[in-house]
Amino acid sequence: MILINCPYCGERDQSEFSNGGEAHVARPENSENLNDKDWGQYVFYRDNPKGIFYERWVHSHGCRKWFNAVRNTSTDEILAIYKLNENPPSKESFINTLKTPSGEPKVGSGNFTVKK
Amino acid sequence: MSAADNKNSYYITDKEVSFKFDGKKYIGYEGDTIASALLRNNVRLVARSFKYHRPRGIYTCGIEEPNGIVQILNEHNEPNTRATVKQIYEGIRVSSQNRWPSLNLDIGSINNLLSPMFSAGFYYKTFMGPKGFWKRIYEPIIRRTAGLGKPPKEFRSKSIHQNHNVDIVIIGGGLSGLITARKLINTQYDVLLLEQDSFLGGILKNSKKIKKISNKEPNEWINETEKLIKDSKNIKILKNSLVTSYNFANHLIALEDKSVGKKIDNNKSELTLHKIRTTHTILANGHIERFISFRNNDLPGVMLAASFEKYIHRYGVVPETSPVIFTNNSTTDSLLKSLIDLGHKPAAYVDSRNKDKIGRKLLNYLEKNNIPFYINAEVEGCDGNKKIKTISIKKSNKIIKVKSSMLCISGGINPDIHLFTQSKGLVKWDDKLVTFKPDVSFQNTITLGSVSGNFNYEKTVEEINNKLSFLKTKNIKSNIELNDINNFNIKELWETKHEKKSNWSKSFIDLHNDVTTKDLKQAVKEGFDRIEHLKRFTTNSMGTDQGKISSINSLGIVSKILKKKISEVGTTTYRPPYAPLSFSAIAGRNTFEFYDPQRKTPIHNWHIENKAVFEDVGQWKRPWYFKKFEMESMHLAVQRESEQTRKTAGILDGSTLGKIEIKGKDALEFMNLMYTNAFTKMKPMSSRYALMLGEDGMIKDDGIVCKLNDKHFIVTTTSGGAPKVLADMEEYLQTEWPNLQVYVNSITEQFSTFNISGPKSRDIVSKVFTDVDFSNENFPFMTFKVFDYMDTEVRIMRASFTGELGYEIYITPNKALELWKKIFHFGKAYDLVPYGTETMHLLRAEKGYVVIGQETDGTVTPLDLNFNWMIGKKKKDFIGKRSLTRSDTSREDRKQLVGIIPLDKSEFIEEGQHVVECDRLPKRITAPVEYLGHVSSSYHSPNLNHCIAMAMIKGGNKLMGRKLFVSSTYGTKNIPVEVVSPVFIDPENKRLVS
Repeated sequence: MILINCPYCGERDQSEFSNGGEAHVARPENSENLNDKDWGQYVFYRDNPKGIFYERWVHSHGCRKWFNAVRNTSTDEILAIYKLNENPPSKESFINTLKTPSGEPKVGSGNFTVKK
Repeated sequence: MSAADNKNSYYITDKEVSFKFDGKKYIGYEGDTIASALLRNNVRLVARSFKYHRPRGIYTCGIEEPNGIVQILNEHNEPNTRATVKQIYEGIRVSSQNRWPSLNLDIGSINNLLSPMFSAGFYYKTFMGPKGFWKRIYEPIIRRTAGLGKPPKEFRSKSIHQNHNVDIVIIGGGLSGLITARKLINTQYDVLLLEQDSFLGGILKNSKKIKKISNKEPNEWINETEKLIKDSKNIKILKNSLVTSYNFANHLIALEDKSVGKKIDNNKSELTLHKIRTTHTILANGHIERFISFRNNDLPGVMLAASFEKYIHRYGVVPETSPVIFTNNSTTDSLLKSLIDLGHKPAAYVDSRNKDKIGRKLLNYLEKNNIPFYINAEVEGCDGNKKIKTISIKKSNKIIKVKSSMLCISGGINPDIHLFTQSKGLVKWDDKLVTFKPDVSFQNTITLGSVSGNFNYEKTVEEINNKLSFLKTKNIKSNIELNDINNFNIKELWETKHEKKSNWSKSFIDLHNDVTTKDLKQAVKEGFDRIEHLKRFTTNSMGTDQGKISSINSLGIVSKILKKKISEVGTTTYRPPYAPLSFSAIAGRNTFEFYDPQRKTPIHNWHIENKAVFEDVGQWKRPWYFKKFEMESMHLAVQRESEQTRKTAGILDGSTLGKIEIKGKDALEFMNLMYTNAFTKMKPMSSRYALMLGEDGMIKDDGIVCKLNDKHFIVTTTSGGAPKVLADMEEYLQTEWPNLQVYVNSITEQFSTFNISGPKSRDIVSKVFTDVDFSNENFPFMTFKVFDYMDTEVRIMRASFTGELGYEIYITPNKALELWKKIFHFGKAYDLVPYGTETMHLLRAEKGYVVIGQETDGTVTPLDLNFNWMIGKKKKDFIGKRSLTRSDTSREDRKQLVGIIPLDKSEFIEEGQHVVECDRLPKRITAPVEYLGHVSSSYHSPNLNHCIAMAMIKGGNKLMGRKLFVSSTYGTKNIPVEVVSPVFIDPENKRLVS
């Protein structure tokens, strides 16, 4: 179980939190102008990369506040945590710090490279 | 020959303890494990094997034991306990497992003679058909004959969980663990030292390999170290604590047994699960000896050499005074000397190495002590009935038979890399040590001592100082003096050449799961040449011991067959737990009533007094129905409650209903976005039935929205959906619309709710609340009033979930029971009846009201339920709006809500049945049957006196009046039904609004 540093409460066990999936997926404003495909993209499609992932968390059994985190999905290591109104740290700032468990193909060998 | 005592043991006292094994009484000493006590009593046969039911004896002296697995009868019948770990105490009752009728005479051992049938992949190949046989015939039989112990009885866990947050964890209180601890005494670091045994010392107590440390006797040094640690400010020792998991983020799980060597105190917790977070983890968890495969290497009497030595020094029992020793390395030298020093003489010494590798010194020692020895020789096999009688030694193609009842074997030692690989560290093969050892750490993990592949005790201090130089500590100076030269000099040997004499001749690679070396060869031949596939096909190393003494051997054998290097074959994945972990430890206090909290309404005790039968709704206990008399059936009670409610009045305790208060400057805008309905034109102090969708357009929840004004709303939710609805509202407020100034808050438990309905409900409430005008003109349908009553605020809403005239009364829980009783006081004259959830469901079905989760299942849109009137089409946006015009949601053949009634009014339709077009189903279904939908609700209506049902049917709106069929559980004949409107009672809503 990982520790998550809630920006409002401090470090707590993962069991106090709920994951809210990919971050920075804005709800389309003029949805009536979107075609089915574009609307479907927003409702049903999310990324699932190996490596750096920007995602949302909520301290559901705590302060009930939502916040964003950057996580290395191959190790569960949380690389950064920032509030909803803060700018996300750039992907480049993490690239050199990434590890994979020994014996596993390194980050970037999986779908991470397939996605641009 | 037989067992003897070693009075100079470290651990055993001379206090006698009596215990029972398979009903027979034996005497052991305090501190004995079940295994050491049985060996002391010359009991060799302790178990029957997993598959072939072969006789088995104690093989090791620790957690790695594959054979000696027993059931503890007086500890809730605890099964699969390792006899080599569990300590005895006065009165403990132990029994063997997996045998019938007795250990000595086991019928199941016929499997051994049938063994050609039971080879690798036997189950997969044999029990293929006919259909249904696996579940009904094969599996129950196999489960009965193959397997482990019986499950515990009447078990109630009292285990607890404990959290730790430290700088450094040291795993293992042996030589390197203790030196490391000494180095860390009174430093700035918070340290936790975990030891699986009930005492510290490890190798120092298990053998006589080490003579002196810092010029002190090992025992003296251990005691001094323990005192220094205990006096320190920063180090805590946890004994009897086995680390079972090493997770990501340096998170460790350790299991502490609190009742080692004593009877379980039923008033105290027996296990503690330690959850440890640390910055650095020091693995000093040592090594495990491995065995060698030869003919009948499972016969009782075969034991690992280091374990034999452990029994001598730690438990003070020499299991056999003249055993044969068979080795391929020098770790057995100390066993030989220990036996001779105690005045015993081994029957023979067999070594597969040549004299250069063995060393002149040992050979001289053997000669001097007149011990028969065979070098460049191997043990071909052993024979005997339920214990060893003769051991066959093969030297230059000649067989020499030696009589002895025990054989001590050593095939080398493996660093115990289980935890290291769990931490995702990488291991590498060492050709010189003939084993895998840790290579690159993935987390903050440091390995010290033999787990790191350092088998030279003299170098331990140097290794610790080097590897821990990054810590702010002083270098430790300690001199370790050995009893003998420290050379390992191993020669690779996995299996000896042996003959097959009969079906009884077997050379095992996994003792726990009865896998033979022949099975491995066969599996490779059949194409399972990847080690992970081979493991699963043969079940090799998949027992509760995880192949601790044999998994590396199987890699050795497979590499030989494949003609590959072992490093190319690779290891299987080591997964937590390291050793079996009791479910009760994982559950901790979260059992029975603590597993999930029970929520009760303020009226709960009144319900019990009035013979309510309860139903679980989420965590809530809700009355399901009330029995008028003890023998009244559910059907009769529900029919009576329903009928009475429509005749005069009924009341439901609806306190479980979720209630959320929404306040703020932008509350109206927020409500318009969250719900499908339009609230802008709604009058203050009125209410409306409302729907909440997901972004996919599917119905998520429903409820009644009350508008006090544009800045203040109260909504009800379904009983189970309240937390989710509140969380969703918070999510949208925080993440999508942070510009809206709105606050949401749960008030579910701040208000108790009663739903009174029926034609006489107005008369009753008028008598209770005499100051309120309940007339239809002044209190119309879907409005509400707030007023003071009984020194508190009461809210009453005119709404109905039954189709009758009805009111929902909200009051603080403190006054709820008083008001409830008051209502009954005035309701008596009208035969007011309390009803439960079942009647609630029946009454709403008569009226065609849906229940979220019954008619809907996450794939139903409002349009599918003909709720078009509830959608604020003029609103620019609300959650799920765009999805209602997706190509999929606007299909005309979607399942739509209809009512159905049987053509023959005496027939009953079951919930969950299929709606079809054919009057009967084929006996054997060979082709798909065209299916239209399913029955979502069905009740016998007492008011119409026949069955009424609701169904979700493809294109249902266009099928009104059609004749269709519903399948039944009674045979292939379907029930003919008619499709009707789902509103069965009062379609004009006359009763509601009058």
